[in-house]
Parts: sequence; C-alpha cells; structure tokens
Amino acid sequence: MATIAVDDRSSGASGPSPAAPPGPRRRRPGSRLKLRNTLIGWSFILPNFLGFGLLTLIPVVTLFYLSLTEWNVFGGAEFIGLDNYTRMIGDTSYHTALFNTIYYSAVHIPATLVASLGLALLLNRKLRGVAFFRTVAFFPYITSIVAIAVVWNMLFSPEYGPINQFLTFLGVDDPPGWTTSADSSMPAVIIVGVWREMGYYMLLLLAGLQTVPGELYEAARVDGAGAWGRFWNVTLPCLRPTMFFVTVILTINSLKVFDLILVMTDGGPGQSTLVLSQFIYSKGFEENQFGYASAVAVTLFFICIAVTIFQFFWNRRKDA
Amino acid sequence: MKRTIPTAAGAAAAVVLALTACSGGTADEAGGGGGDDTAAPAEDEAVTLSLAGWSLSTTPEFQTLADAFHEENPNVTVELQEYDASEYDTQMTADLAAGSAPDMYVLKNLKNFWTYYDGAQLLDVSDVTAELDPATGGADFYEVDGASWAVPYRQDSWFLYYNQDLFDEAGVDAPDGSWTWDDYVTAAQDVTEGLGDSDALGAYQHSWQSVVQGFALAQSEGAELTSGDFGYLEPFYDRAVELQDSDAQVDFGTVTTNQLTYQAQFGTQQAAMMPMGSWYVATLLAQQESGDADEFNWGMAPIPQVDSSTTGMDATPVTFGDPTGLGINPAIDEAKVDAAKEFLAFAAGEGGADALAAIGITPALLSDGVVDTYFGLDGVPGDELSQFAFATHDTRPENPVDPDTAALQNILGDTHSEIMSESSSVADAIAGAEDRAASEVG
Repeated sequence: MATIAVDDRSSGASGPSPAAPPGPRRRRPGSRLKLRNTLIGWSFILPNFLGFGLLTLIPVVTLFYLSLTEWNVFGGAEFIGLDNYTRMIGDTSYHTALFNTIYYSAVHIPATLVASLGLALLLNRKLRGVAFFRTVAFFPYITSIVAIAVVWNMLFSPEYGPINQFLTFLGVDDPPGWTTSADSSMPAVIIVGVWREMGYYMLLLLAGLQTVPGELYEAARVDGAGAWGRFWNVTLPCLRPTMFFVTVILTINSLKVFDLILVMTDGGPGQSTLVLSQFIYSKGFEENQFGYASAVAVTLFFICIAVTIFQFFWNRRKDA
Repeated sequence: MKRTIPTAAGAAAAVVLALTACSGGTADEAGGGGGDDTAAPAEDEAVTLSLAGWSLSTTPEFQTLADAFHEENPNVTVELQEYDASEYDTQMTADLAAGSAPDMYVLKNLKNFWTYYDGAQLLDVSDVTAELDPATGGADFYEVDGASWAVPYRQDSWFLYYNQDLFDEAGVDAPDGSWTWDDYVTAAQDVTEGLGDSDALGAYQHSWQSVVQGFALAQSEGAELTSGDFGYLEPFYDRAVELQDSDAQVDFGTVTTNQLTYQAQFGTQQAAMMPMGSWYVATLLAQQESGDADEFNWGMAPIPQVDSSTTGMDATPVTFGDPTGLGINPAIDEAKVDAAKEFLAFAAGEGGADALAAIGITPALLSDGVVDTYFGLDGVPGDELSQFAFATHDTRPENPVDPDTAALQNILGDTHSEIMSESSSVADAIAGAEDRAASEVG
C-alpha cells in the first residue's frame, strides 16, 4: 500500500523524471474519476438546463439587448443606446403604470398576508370537516382566471350586482362603481386578487404552522401567556422562515400582476388599473414597439430584484 | 466558477447576436417591391396558393372566395390557413417574422396595416389596384407613397338598425333618413318613454370606442386623428353621456360588467335602435333562423348626421368603416405571384363581390348587380330606405393609415372608458388625451 502511494505521488507531482524512458503520459486516477463524476452530474442537469437555456436564459439576455434597440419584429433591431430608458422619464403612461403597480402591491401584499395567515390559523385547528374547508379555501386559486373575472364583474355590476344591492340594503346611498369607476377600480381588483390568492398562501403557511413544536405552546401556557402572547411570541417567530418565503413570492407576483387586470378591467376605466405588465404587453404586442417594451420589462425586473434583495437583507438582520 | 460565468454569458450573447443577425437578413431580403421579376407559370400549370383566414367554420367568406376563384381558374387552388380570430394580427406578425406565413393574408383592419407596410411585409400590388373598378370602396386607403399595398374585398359601413315594431308600440316615427344626432337622441328618449314599463330601451350603443369616435372622426369638419387635437369628440361624447344618463340606453358600466352583446340587445328586442356595421345583417338573419334572435320587423336607415346638409335621400350620408383587404406576402414563391395577383383582382372585383353578396357579406364593390344579389337574400328588408342606407354612403376610415394610428387609438380607447364610465368630465378626459398624445406619440 505504502509503495503504491509513494509512486502515485511522485508521478503525479513531478511527472516522469528526465532519466525515465519515454512512455505514454499517465493520468491521475483521481482526475479521471472527477471528470467522470462531472460528466455524470452534467448529464443529470442537461435536460433541464437545455430547457432553461433555450426558454429562459437566451430570452432574458435577448431582452436586455432589445431594450437598447428600436425593433418592430420585422427586420433587424436598430441599436439606439439608452434612448428607450430616457423616454420613460417623460412618459406619463409609464409613470401611471409604475404608480398603479406600487399601489396594487402595497395594498395587495399585506392584505393577502393577513387574510392567508388568518385562514391558516383558523384551519390549523382540529375542527370537524377541516379538510373540506381547506379545499374550499384553495379552490379560487385553481379556478380559471377568466371565469373569476366574469363572475366578479357581475357581482360588482353597479346597478344590478348583488354587492351594491346589499350595500344599498344596508343604507349606503351612493355605493361605489367598482370596476366601472376610476376611483374604485383598483380596490375592486385588489379584493379579487386577495380572494383568489389567499388560499395558496394559506397552504404554505399551514405547512409552516405544523412545524411549530407543541412543547413551545405548552411552555408558554405554563408561563401564563394568553392566546395573543402565544401567537406573538411563539407562532410568529417560528413562522418567520415560511413568512419570508411567502412574502418574497407574494411580492414578485404582485409586482408582475397581469392576467387578472387584463381580463377584469383591461387597465381601465381610463388608465386607473394600468400596471407595468400590461403596459409592456400594450407597447409590445399592440403597438409593436418591442424595444421600448423590453426596456420597461428590464425596469420591472430590477424593481423585483431590488425588493427581493432588500427582503433578504432584512431577513438576515432579523436572523442575526 | 468565476471563469465559467463570463464564458457562458459570452456564448449566450453570441447566440443572441447570431439569431438577431439571421432575422435581420431575412426581413431585409423581403422588400415591398419584390414582385416585379416574376416567372409566371404556364397557363395550364397547377398552382396552389395559401390564404390566411380566421374562424373558418363560422366565417365562410374565405372559402367562398377560394371556391369561386377556383371555379373560374381551375388550375389555381387556394388553400386556407386558419388563425385565431381574436389574436389574428399577433399570430400573423409572428408567422411573417418567422417566414411561415401563407402566400396571401387578410388585413383585418386598417389599424395594423402600417405595421405590415412598414415592416416590408406587403408586395406592391399597384398594378392590381389600377385595374379595379373606380367604385371599389376603400382602395385608396392602402396607398402609401404613390404605391398600393393591398386591395379591399369587403367594405363594411355603419348604419342605423331599427326595430319597426318597437317604434310602432311606442308611437314614435321611425327613422326616415333625415335625422341628425340630436334627432336620434330625442327619438331614443321618446321611444323609451313611450314603451313605459317595458324592458326595452330606445337605443343601444355598444361599448366600443368606435361607436362614438368613428362617427366623430368621419363627420366632424376638419377632424384629423393624427393632429393630436381631439376637440371634435366633445359634442359626440356629450350626446353619448346624455343618452345613458337619461336611461334611454344601458349605461356603460352595465354593458361592460355584464358583458352584454349587441347581438342579444337588438336581436331580442331590448333596444329599438342600434348603430352597427353592415356585417350585422348576416348575423341577425342567421340568429333569427336559429332562434337566437326574435322575429320582428326591422330595417336599416342612414346613420344620423351632424347637421342637415348630409341628410335626406337626395344627399350622401357620411359614415365610417374600415375595409378588409388582401395583401401578398413578399416571401411568396415568385412563380406564384401572378396567380396571387389574379386572386386579389378577382376578390376585389365583380366576381368576388357577387360571391360575397350571395352569403350576406358587404363587398367592397357595390355595383347595382351586387346590391340586387344582396337584397335578393331571404330576410333582408327590401324597403327603399334600407336599400339606400346599404348602397349610398360616403365611408371614411376609422383608422387613417399613419405610423401613429395604433398608439393614438390606444390613448383614445382609454379616453373612451374614462368618459363613458363618467370617471372624468368629457372636457377633462379629452384634454388628458391631448396631453398624452403630445408627450407619448410622434
């Protein structure tokens, strides 16, 4: 054993000595193994990486390039430097879309968090038929977005919709116009967004709640903590990793909201519910300004990145 | 790891640049005037052309034209390539860019014509246009820089549909071709009042921006979409808002939230009048046949006018409507160009017009023979006013051909919903649209 080891080391480190007769170059057995392992590893990820490369990496790199060009799909893209970005500075519609995106996110994120956490806490108890209620809460998330939009639009109908009829019954003289009024269209869309997504986030939080050790609650009870004390000092700290994950996903989904608004209000009335994703769609696919649309998409990308990095740092500080 | 990132980024950039270079080369070769050096096939040589269409099972016009042309030219077969009706322009744009579009394609509206023209995706067909009957409606809409890039085969125009039975029930005189828009609003209010507790209202104006803006652009003196001055819209919107505020018309919010359809509103007698395009004639007849629409006495009248100078049976009423055109893909096999041009000439000429009129479609060429064919169909009202409304009008484009048309129409689409939802006053919304047009377009 010892002799072999010494031979290996000398040939590997110094190579054949000048006095040695010439012969085929010897490869370290370890490097061959390493190469084989690397190839096997690559072969495992290759199918997925090919898909990722073709469908995500190349389009994203192309997006960055297109944002510096003027391109109407036909013909070559003309490089125009940062003109698309400077155009955004004076584009009032872009400002409106940016403001509406922030407005939607600022209300939708906390509202969905509170609603889904409340649901998760409620459905984390040992209740009769709890599985049924969990399914019911999750149902909107797997329902067609178009069906949701059609039904909610009918519910929101200013004159004949049951929501306003109920408000009128309660004595509200001038109920909101909901999706038909610029003042109330964004709140209406946010309500539907929260209703649709809270079931999904409830499920994630429910999984988090079930990892909280029961002994901690017992210890808190022994120490005299009430329901609020147990929630604040046991549940929330233990849920923090799940809450962090949920907040990151929820934030990104809110910033890139598109389908719900497109089918419910199409950005209207006026531009009251125009968000960045729809602005990108309109500039790209309706006006064929793919360069400018790409530039707006790049800004949305950096907004998402910036908010996510901020959340990571915030979470790390809390961890410390 | 550090070394692999720049390597991967470089490789990706090379691929992107290579792809971009490929697409640029393809489009550069496809020019607007590429059809001159054509090698025509021998007369009896079989030629197969492909033509784009949408919703083929419910839109028979493409197959009708293909069959009629084949009957006259047995050596040429036109095969249809189906697209989704609502995503037609997006899909066609993608196919043209990818080089997989059919030999000939339909220009569904004028709004997107500029995109195809500017992208050099249309063959110069000036020689076909030059041979068309001068009475062909909308042929000049496709002319840019002295050349013609498509030919119209149908030209829908808007007129006023009315329900004679509801007018009689309300005791109000039906339209007679002499109406201005003020007369129309008054009549709608009178009919609503006359019908009392009935669910039916005096008028139904669908939620499309064109229902207000198309007439305003066509009928207002000096109105120009691309001027960025939209003051001409104001009186038209004042009337539209008045109509819904006086409950003579379903309000905009109810139309959009309940997704009301114009076919159901007029076809099931929920409205006594409805401004709509000529395509609705065929739809109404089909729905009456299938039972989706009620049987009632109805007719067509010229669309109301701004003032009396263009009203009456001795004048030519002004209305709007975009033609539907046919263009040739510059990537077509050169040996097929002549056959494709022959098909365009047929579709826009008397042969195509007769074939289309026989299935209730309004062709671009409205000769006496075509009008007779159309009014010979079962169920089409044959009274003098309907014939006058159908055959006599000065139809102006809803989407004048210009690089900025699509962007301006999108701005005005927002303005329309802002005004009709009464989220802003008419004047404020129009001022906002003018500001946006000045800062965002051109």
